[in-house]
Amino acid sequence: MIDILDILAIPTILILMGVLTIPVIKILHTKPRYFRELLIGWFLIGFALCIIAIANLSFKYFNLEPIVPFFNINIAGIEFLVFSSSFLVDALSVYIVVIFIIIGAIAVIYGVLSEKDKGQITERYYAVMLIVLAGLMGAALAGDLLTLFIFWEVSAAGSSFLMLYRKTPRSIHATLKYLVMIVIGSSFIMYGLSIVFSIAGTLNFWEVRNVLIIFSDKTLLLVAFGFIAGGYAIEAAIVPFHLWLPDAYTEAPASSSAFLSGLVDQGSYYVLLRVLIYILTPTVVVNWTTTIAVFAALSMIVGNLRALTEVNIKRLVAYICVADVGYNLVAISSMTHVGVMANLFFFFVGGMATALAFMTVGLLNSMGIETLDDFNGIGRSVPWTSLGLSFSLLSFTGIPPFAGFFAKYLVFTSAIEGDLSWLAVIGVTASVIQAAYIFRLVNRMYGRPSSQQFKVKESRAALIPIFILGLALIVLGFFPTLALNLIQPVVQELPMIP
Amino acid sequence: MMTMALLLILALFAAAIPISYLAERARTGLGALTLFIVATIGMFLLSTTIPEILNAANNNRYTETYYWVPEIDASFSLFVDGISFSISFIALILIALTSLYSIPYMKDRDDINPYYSLLALLSLGLLGIFITSNLLLFYFFWELILIPSYFIIGTWGGGDSYGVAFKFFIITHAGAVLVLLGIGSVFVITGSLDMFQVTAALATMQTGPIGWILIAFTIGFAVKLAVVPAHIWLPDAYSESPATMSALLGGVMTTAGAYGILRISLGVVLPALLSNPFGVQFLHTLALFGILSALFGSLVAVQENDVNRMLAYSSISHMGYVVFALSLFPNPLAIIATVLHLLNHGATKGLFFLTTGDIVKKAGTRDMNELSGVASCMPVTGTCSAISALSIGGVPPFACFISEFLIFMSAFQVAIIDSFYLIPTFLLLAANVLSLAYALRYVGNVLLGPPDTNQMNERSALVLGVVVALAVIVVILGIWPSIFTQLIALVNFQT
Repeated sequence: MIDILDILAIPTILILMGVLTIPVIKILHTKPRYFRELLIGWFLIGFALCIIAIANLSFKYFNLEPIVPFFNINIAGIEFLVFSSSFLVDALSVYIVVIFIIIGAIAVIYGVLSEKDKGQITERYYAVMLIVLAGLMGAALAGDLLTLFIFWEVSAAGSSFLMLYRKTPRSIHATLKYLVMIVIGSSFIMYGLSIVFSIAGTLNFWEVRNVLIIFSDKTLLLVAFGFIAGGYAIEAAIVPFHLWLPDAYTEAPASSSAFLSGLVDQGSYYVLLRVLIYILTPTVVVNWTTTIAVFAALSMIVGNLRALTEVNIKRLVAYICVADVGYNLVAISSMTHVGVMANLFFFFVGGMATALAFMTVGLLNSMGIETLDDFNGIGRSVPWTSLGLSFSLLSFTGIPPFAGFFAKYLVFTSAIEGDLSWLAVIGVTASVIQAAYIFRLVNRMYGRPSSQQFKVKESRAALIPIFILGLALIVLGFFPTLALNLIQPVVQELPMIP
Repeated sequence: MMTMALLLILALFAAAIPISYLAERARTGLGALTLFIVATIGMFLLSTTIPEILNAANNNRYTETYYWVPEIDASFSLFVDGISFSISFIALILIALTSLYSIPYMKDRDDINPYYSLLALLSLGLLGIFITSNLLLFYFFWELILIPSYFIIGTWGGGDSYGVAFKFFIITHAGAVLVLLGIGSVFVITGSLDMFQVTAALATMQTGPIGWILIAFTIGFAVKLAVVPAHIWLPDAYSESPATMSALLGGVMTTAGAYGILRISLGVVLPALLSNPFGVQFLHTLALFGILSALFGSLVAVQENDVNRMLAYSSISHMGYVVFALSLFPNPLAIIATVLHLLNHGATKGLFFLTTGDIVKKAGTRDMNELSGVASCMPVTGTCSAISALSIGGVPPFACFISEFLIFMSAFQVAIIDSFYLIPTFLLLAANVLSLAYALRYVGNVLLGPPDTNQMNERSALVLGVVVALAVIVVILGIWPSIFTQLIALVNFQT
């Protein structure tokens, strides 16, 4: 039987790690010689504990007798059910937690290794990072709309500290923009939730869903849906609510951008997936597929076209994130099994690829390579970092043998299967535009003579997390089954939504 | 009998990617040797499948299936039949010979280490295209060749090589995504990705979107095949690439495009539409585009002064022949003629690019008006070059003559039933005359005539060995085509 502690163990470990990181770093500063190695060791202990916890949880979950596809558990007893936080374990949340642990560990380690000056490493930064991660884990395991909202807001609001870390005027401006958008988004969600609560009298996923199915007057429901979806659309940076994202990701330090794009951004897709497919299931509850499909098309077109005209590479990667939102939405709006598979695979791969891109671009930025012209010839002067960046760029384009190829194939197939062939055509066209600007960049990296000589040597340590991600993209490109194995149970559970 | 022959071939090329890099770093030439040995072993392994191809009980097909991505019904299934066998065999020969040829050709280029790794990756992709029966795996290999091609053209090409490579990459990638859409649609409609299962499943269906799928596939492949008007990437890519890459581009990669149309557009999708007026209209349109390419290519080639560009336009023209021959589907003689012309053209064009590559490198110019009398100072290379030029011009007993003859034969066969083909066949004859014109112009201008003051010589035994071997193959293919035609004739398209 799954205990509430089995579930709470994962966020708790991360929160404890986050809090304890502050004294640990203070102590480690007294041993400056092996400071970095010890700090990474400390984080790895935490992630190892998380892995044990999720292994335990998934073992217990998949061995449940009798088999329960969606395992709900409440903190409080039966009498306070309405006010109790509840948690949900299913194949989807297990998968999400697993990929968050993988990407999170790599992003945190990169955060340690990319700091050139040991004195710059502040304990608060890592503490916030871990707590944001804990929030994401909690959101992945949440079993009712309020719990989901609380945990998700922890990570969304906590992200602003990661963006603000360097405290440059521009980053303060970008963070302010982000915060304003997030506050508007959360108030939308809050308002929508209160309507749902007043209709359903509960916020538990399945009970809400059951009430909504039999609820005949859909007008009020549509209003509520509009607010909730709009709120999450702002936080997931769906076009036309994407304006905060390029600023925020560009001005944030590289390790924050990698962390945000690899985790928080993917977390927002999870929330969309959970709310749109599992609760507001089309045809039985609300028929939103066409609406979301239009937003998907907009995101792909706007994201890719803006990236096409962008000369600042970090901003360009941020616009790729916007375009990725579109591809994820295509998969979601197809409402098919392939679509769910595509979405889950895409955001794992997309998360790794964007994180990898921000990591490498961050290293290049610290050498003064920022705009398209600076990228001329870096394939020769900064070979390894450029290779890492090329891996992620080729994965975005969807060229085999990189994992992005399977992700895109699944997305387009799901669109065709979901009777949205027009969306598949738009997606493919956008994908060609993407290939064009990405290959323009690769072309400059390898095809143009270098405009300047760099004295900065590549940091070998920081290349470790970069190449772990790069190789992961290639391995998943050859053997996507490694990830699809974990996704398959999710797809099998889909028809069993209570 | 070996049961993993095809997987082993691919695995060998995959292993050659790191090995040839390390070998080349250890000693110059070892990387090329690695690739040569791998390709030779590949030919041997491929030959072990012949008994299965001849075995009618097994559909004249040798198959292997491995675990890949069961979640989306994609298995790593490999197969060879007469067509796949012949094309992969010629591809392996070209890979083996170009890698040897690269040793002297790339001698004075620095930073050659990654070259052979990229060549191995390119070979892996090219072979994979011809021997897989899974559509997704096909696409995987299809796109896999883009990255090595881009870097080989860009790094070791001449002129604005990276710009050319960029153009090549984007245009062919844009074509490829149409193929991807087609594969996705096929999977959605039939629930399968295996070519043979899909063929059977589509045959039972109402037309509906199948016409769109057919068009998407065909346009996607036609871009790689450089059918006019999708040919704009080709002249630049051929003329700026290193000769070895041009040989593979002209000899194998365009073949891949034609193979895609034959195997997938016509073999898998079209049978469902053959009884439908749309299917016939489609074939007629294909014939017109073929004729357009054949005429356009040869007309430009006749007046082109740049040797490489002339060869490039000649490729466009010959691919026009192939497309026209494809439009005669499902005439059995036409299928044999198509595949045979692909083989012959591949070997001939490979030889042509390798000989002109050597000539151009030594003369330092690609202008036909400045080149003269090459044959008198480079007799062996000159002779081989003349053989390839005459073969391109369709002169017996060289390779392309026999396949062009078969194309006309089958065209007349079809024209008796469908009078539409009469005028295109006549126009194709005109293009054929033009081919002979530019071939003879090359022979007369470049090879014959008074020798240039420029002291050219042929000292590298390796270059001579490679071109002579390829010239011998071109002659053998011309006088003894039945080595391959008897295998090709065994292939049965389910129409």
